[in-house]
Amino acid sequence: MTLKQCYEAMGADYDEVVGRLRSERLVQKFVLKFLDDKSFELLRTSYESGNYEEAFRAAHTIKGMCQNLSFTKLGKSSSELTESLRGGVSPNTPALLDCVCADYKETTDAINAFKAELPG
Amino acid sequence: MKKEIILIADDSEMNRSILADMLSDRYDIIEAEDGVQAVAVMSTRLSDISLLLLDIVMPNLDGFGVLETMNKNGWIDAVPVIIISSENSSSHVERAYELGTTDFIARPFDALIVQHRVINTILLYAKQKRLIGMVEDQVYEKERHSDLMIDILSHIMEFRNGESGSHILHVRTLTDMLLTCLLNKTDKYNLTMADISMISTASALHDVGKMAIDEKILNKPGKLTPEEFEIMKTHSAIGADMISDLPVHRQEPLVKVAREICRWHHERWDGRGYPDGLKGDDIPISAQVVALADVYDALTSERVYKPPFTHEEAIGMIVRGECGAFNPLLIECMNENIEQFRQSREQSSPDDIKRHKLRRISEEMLRGEGGGVSKRTLRLLDKERVRNSFYASMTEAIQFEYSVDPSMVTVSVWGAKKLGLDEIIMDPKKDAKLTAVLGDGTWELLSKRLHATTPEKPEIRLDCQLHIDNMVRWCRVAMRSMWTDDPTPKFDGAIGTVIDIHDSRTKIAELEQKASRDNLTGLLNRASTKAQIEMRMQERPEDHYALAEIDIDDFKKVNDVYGHAFGDKVLQKLARQMLGSVRRSDICCRAGGEEFFIFLEYNTDIERTIDRIYSNLCFDCDGINISVSMGVALGETVGLSYDALYHAADVALYAAKRGGKHQYRFFDSSLEGVLKSETKQTR
Repeated sequence: MTLKQCYEAMGADYDEVVGRLRSERLVQKFVLKFLDDKSFELLRTSYESGNYEEAFRAAHTIKGMCQNLSFTKLGKSSSELTESLRGGVSPNTPALLDCVCADYKETTDAINAFKAELPG
Repeated sequence: MKKEIILIADDSEMNRSILADMLSDRYDIIEAEDGVQAVAVMSTRLSDISLLLLDIVMPNLDGFGVLETMNKNGWIDAVPVIIISSENSSSHVERAYELGTTDFIARPFDALIVQHRVINTILLYAKQKRLIGMVEDQVYEKERHSDLMIDILSHIMEFRNGESGSHILHVRTLTDMLLTCLLNKTDKYNLTMADISMISTASALHDVGKMAIDEKILNKPGKLTPEEFEIMKTHSAIGADMISDLPVHRQEPLVKVAREICRWHHERWDGRGYPDGLKGDDIPISAQVVALADVYDALTSERVYKPPFTHEEAIGMIVRGECGAFNPLLIECMNENIEQFRQSREQSSPDDIKRHKLRRISEEMLRGEGGGVSKRTLRLLDKERVRNSFYASMTEAIQFEYSVDPSMVTVSVWGAKKLGLDEIIMDPKKDAKLTAVLGDGTWELLSKRLHATTPEKPEIRLDCQLHIDNMVRWCRVAMRSMWTDDPTPKFDGAIGTVIDIHDSRTKIAELEQKASRDNLTGLLNRASTKAQIEMRMQERPEDHYALAEIDIDDFKKVNDVYGHAFGDKVLQKLARQMLGSVRRSDICCRAGGEEFFIFLEYNTDIERTIDRIYSNLCFDCDGINISVSMGVALGETVGLSYDALYHAADVALYAAKRGGKHQYRFFDSSLEGVLKSETKQTR
């Protein structure tokens, strides 16, 4: 699996990210790093414990990372979630959170699959 | 070369490392996980940090919080900030700019754009910091000039007024202290740090009018008669007129302040002072402050007419109104700085002008310029240009830049106009106008000096004569060579300033000339004669020297019988006879009263020379026969010291008088014994 195929699998824009960051090596490094980021866990736990301010910041961080890496699909759902959490919780937050969870799983699955095929 | 440091504040580790990866080739990176950490880093390493890349949404303290802290602590002027955020709403962007952000980069960002904006911002700030440094240097240079001026003035006043030369320095220090205290107490007088510096400098001139007062009155021991006191009192108005009559610089604020101080530093708060009887705050604050400083220093110093009072006595006399009447606010300022007043007594050199004080003034100039501009969105570059020309006009310095390749000189607009040059001069070495201004050899000299600089020691300073407006004027050229960033830096040009120092140089020369001469006869006075004699003997110790001391016989009687006007005429004629009897290189001096000196070099028959001179010094003045007595000492007899020569000539003169006047005597050691035994007898 190539990095480009990985991007296609998660609904992300490979050409855009390479255009901006100008180095496939860099993109690959940060894509793999995305797996280690704890923001998603933080989002879920803080949401469940009712700490919406923390949840907002976690969603915001995910959104920022997605923008940096051109993860279009997860970026879009996390951005909507961020807005719904700005200033507290809103009625559509649970649905948006589900959506982010699904997109997050799709994204990490794709990255894991890519990682599994890497030499060494 | 040491890399510049960028601080990245972002709560997402990934975001930080993306940025760090983009920038770590050129810069060292410090990372902060939130606003609190960012503030902590800045509080310890502010001056190391060249740029802050700042996220807005962060835990603990967000990006706006960081900006507010930076504003509160004044860090925002020292470190440029680029916001990188996905919070792109215009209200966020506007707030970030309001808080002093330099640039705003929206996420997702382009690596190339980030790199370029970072580089540009850092370069711009570096250049600005260098400019601030240059302004500081210029202010420093100016201060140094005025220190020099004050040194010379103090010296001149010492010659004339019989005051301690430190008086001017003390008055200046006390003036500065009082004004600084006053500034903190009230804004009634609209004082700025720059005003304070200017008033303190101008205070040096407060007694310049005493130049025109007869030495007899100035240095009279004991109380002045009412008539003499009236004459003494004219010095304030005369000083003000001297300054008003300056042919140039009349509109300079410094000159205006100096005039105020001269005219009104003897006014009193209760309106009973002179020359105008101004009352209260009708007296300019500059003159009020100098008046108090002057009185305190005069009281605590020794004068021919009085012993020194102690610090405590002086303060007591001022507070009780025994010595002038002052603004109660100033008395308060004095009382609050009592210890500094005491310490001012010990100060004897003007080296106390500290660099931090200059910084205060520079900073104020900076703030003053930007004060009206609340929108920080103003383009920095534009700001820099405005600042630059503002400073140039403040200092009357001509600024220029020189580049090696292409060979080109650019001159500031004002400077080009003043010098009659083009603003951009290509191939300057061959430019006719520039060559005309510089004159022969100056370009080569500057170029040689510039090429001898190194990146570690890039600055040079040179006084040279430039041709401006068909006149030859002394100018001070200061230059700093510029070097490339290569591992082995290459010389690639220079920046510099030219300051016209002609007027101050000429004025100082004139004043020195005035102070070194006797008003009535135009001969040198005693102090300058002594200095010149010593210099000459030191320079050429192998030559033969003679000192003749001359005293007019029965001069008191001449004055009593024929009046002082006739006496003056005799003194003037004797001076002319002296000048007519010696070579131009010899020194003629009126040492005071009817006592004169001639100092000459000789090769051959000194006895014949002295005889010839002596015969010229006895003459007929309006039908009255005037004779003199003269004592002569030779360097080879008594040694090459002024004091020894003077003493020996004095002994010989005494012998000549004792021998019946109207004669001259050479000193020999036998005379010494005569004088000694005589002295013993008379005691």
